Amino acid sequence: MGGMRQRIVVAGGSLAGHSAVTELVGLVPEAEIVWVTGEQHRTYSKPALSKEFMQARNELSELMLPDIGGDLSNLRIVRRSCASLDTANRTVTLDDGEKIAFDQLLIATGAQARMPGMLRGVGGVFPLRTLDDAVAIRESLAGRPKVLVVGGGLIGCELAASMRTLGLEVTLVERLDTLLDRPFGGAFGSYFLDLHRANGVDLVMDAMVERVSLNDGRVAAVELADGAKIETQLVVVGAGSEPCTQWLEGSGLIVADGVVCDSYLATSMPGIFAAGDVARWTNPIYDLQMRVEHWTNASAQGRAAARNLAASATGRQELRKPFADVPYFWSDQYGQKIQMVGWHQGHDRVELDRSADAPGPLARFYRDGRMIAAAGVNVPRIVMRLRRQIEEEARAQEAA
Amino acid sequence: MKIIVDRQRCDGNGVCMGIAPEVFDVDDDLYLHVAENIPEDPELRARVRQSVTSCPILALKLVED
Repeated sequence: MGGMRQRIVVAGGSLAGHSAVTELVGLVPEAEIVWVTGEQHRTYSKPALSKEFMQARNELSELMLPDIGGDLSNLRIVRRSCASLDTANRTVTLDDGEKIAFDQLLIATGAQARMPGMLRGVGGVFPLRTLDDAVAIRESLAGRPKVLVVGGGLIGCELAASMRTLGLEVTLVERLDTLLDRPFGGAFGSYFLDLHRANGVDLVMDAMVERVSLNDGRVAAVELADGAKIETQLVVVGAGSEPCTQWLEGSGLIVADGVVCDSYLATSMPGIFAAGDVARWTNPIYDLQMRVEHWTNASAQGRAAARNLAASATGRQELRKPFADVPYFWSDQYGQKIQMVGWHQGHDRVELDRSADAPGPLARFYRDGRMIAAAGVNVPRIVMRLRRQIEEEARAQEAA
Repeated sequence: MKIIVDRQRCDGNGVCMGIAPEVFDVDDDLYLHVAENIPEDPELRARVRQSVTSCPILALKLVED
């Protein structure tokens, strides 16, 4: 674009986008940066939504990330959603029809909550993904409803714990016979079942919601596959999420449960990068493609993708670096600090460590004799040390 | 560069420790310890800034020199 200013579009207003924009305004001050976000709020903390915010331990203003500092004269924020991408003409079309041309694009449109068909559009039934979802759930707690949680994953278990902490009556329905099976690789066996039972959650395992009974358009009860009926005035759904890639259909970009990227977070098209929940990249630590839906990943990956994009925009090769990271997430339930580091999928052995005086269980996951992940309860120092160990061992193996 | 921890908020999730272990340390009582003096290394300081913006409960504040 001879003499013209380059334009970088960052699509997505959550943490990965925020972290990318923060990096880009400083790294490429000569370019125009357009930040497109479908959110009407400033970037906010999502992990707090199911925990501190739901328990009314903090307020809306306390969830907002600090402003992006420094000189922002080259930044324009557009509060619209992306409707489509034209890779031939290098334009993004917004939901109001406006087209924005770009030289480089960073896709950070995140993921959205999955909602089972029979629960869609029913009054008193909420997913939890956005701040607006969390506000709606919190507002409906005023009438002290009997709560039904659908799904025993991270969101479901955290919501159940928050609702119990508020003293509400809670039933949780999960289709497997374990809780948090996918995030923790089933390593802690009955630990989570015992934790929730001890705190008064009525657990209904091996069960699925089949039908919803309404009263005046609002949920009054749900019926399970085995015919059991559970009365409820509030249903919160933690049924997983899916990457927001609908707007990329027909763009020619390779999408397979996320935007497929190499280890530099570069997509299949030149000058187009991706980061956060929407990105499926090759993680050199594991030499595997993965999509990680956690806060720390969004933060670090947004920054890394921005640096690689800046390298492609300016030719400054010293900015180019593969994104090698040991994933990390944590959960808080009833004051227990549950942490997971690494990628446990494909493990062939789990070592469980539970000494009598330890504050909680600790698990190490191995594949072919190499530690690939670790999880622990109330042992942050050990877990974080293991995170470094996993990373160092991977780098040593790569170098060998 | 100095870090101020909001003790009412900090719950010891260790995100900061994961990004800049040289500066942040969460002990087994979930109490966050922060290094008094942060070395003038630009790479480390960039990670410390990232730790501050990455704190999911916004318990960290940065005071630049």
